[in-house]
Amino acid sequence: MRALVIGATGFIGLNLVDALLAEGIEVRATRRPSSPTIFLRKRKVEMCDASLEDVEQLKRAMEGCDVVYLAGGYYPRYSLDLKAATAEGVSGVRNACQAARAVGVLRFIYTSSIATLERTTDRLATEQDIPETQPTGSVYRAVKWSMERELDSHAARGLPAVTLLPGGCIGPWDLRLGTGGVLVQTVRGMLPFWVEGTVALVDVTDVARAHVRALHAKGSRFCLAPHAADFGELLQLMVERYGGKVPERVDAEVAKRLADEAEWEAAPRKGRVAFPRELVDMILTGQPVSCALAEQELALRFTPLPEALDRAHTFFTRFHYLSAPTDKEGQRHAQPGR
Amino acid sequence: MLNLEDRRSRMIAVMADILEIEPREIRGEQRLREDLGMDSLGSLELLSTISEELRIDLEMENAMEIQTVDDACAFVEKHYTEQHGATGAQA
Repeated sequence: MRALVIGATGFIGLNLVDALLAEGIEVRATRRPSSPTIFLRKRKVEMCDASLEDVEQLKRAMEGCDVVYLAGGYYPRYSLDLKAATAEGVSGVRNACQAARAVGVLRFIYTSSIATLERTTDRLATEQDIPETQPTGSVYRAVKWSMERELDSHAARGLPAVTLLPGGCIGPWDLRLGTGGVLVQTVRGMLPFWVEGTVALVDVTDVARAHVRALHAKGSRFCLAPHAADFGELLQLMVERYGGKVPERVDAEVAKRLADEAEWEAAPRKGRVAFPRELVDMILTGQPVSCALAEQELALRFTPLPEALDRAHTFFTRFHYLSAPTDKEGQRHAQPGR
Repeated sequence: MLNLEDRRSRMIAVMADILEIEPREIRGEQRLREDLGMDSLGSLELLSTISEELRIDLEMENAMEIQTVDDACAFVEKHYTEQHGATGAQA
């Protein structure tokens, strides 16, 4: 079996490549001119040039592949322009789906997010809690919801699609500091503020395993967010385990304003924001999610949260995002190798 | 075959391309983050590109310790020399 992974140089993508190779599945990976392939090249994969903007390139990349993973869909780094972000996100999904339908792949597995789910108040949210209209108040949620609906429209026309909805992923290869950025900044005492709410996390290796098992799944949607936590308590847990500092708490409106201001300042220079609006929105609208379907049908046993945090911390230490912990005599502990 | 000066020029050119500035605006003592505004993603793209061009395997675990343009060039040069020899004769 051969799989095409779109987004293989990213956080979930690299973990997915490892999980596929471990199962003996051949991997072809797309790359764009600016993709940092340095870690992908250390793995036994075939690389091909393809961009989500070019349907013909995507078709060529998909030729000879049984399954296509779209693990690198558009990720709105800033929450500043809903219309443009929606257009870019939907366009990428549309192009990948069109190419997959034209080539006739056996399965198309799409990495979405629990951000697309409807908020529930009296029970755990499930795969079936899909808002009827584009969510308001969060560019990130709105864009991800629209991308999912684009996928659904192709599934309705015959694309054999499976949608996976992970929560905030934590673990190795988070080189761009996604959710792991919270861990790194907290331990380094650099998180600028925090806001009350809920985060639902998952070990990225569990997410990768779910992608592999989705190859043979009967269902078409699976939530992957087993660890719901109060955000303040999560920060406290990080500080207790690895040191650092919990910053000042701010209320929701202040958090939104601070994040928006930081993004307006950073966007012209394409800079990163310490606490982006997307993260604020995810915390404010966060909710516990049922992962029963994934546990049953994908036979997943989710990694406990402390273990997932430890793995992420080990990775960030290995790559010097964080200093190696020291004992009372000031001697550095050796870090585990690969 | 690229010599030491060529390799440094390629590093500067890739840096300039990522930062969308002219190569002549980049000086060795400048700090990547504070002076040039290159974030960790930019550094990753830089090292990934140059390692592919020069066909070298970089030990990325130590890449976060790179501070300046000269540090980045020395980091790459160290790996190049170890893997290909100073003149590239072993390539």
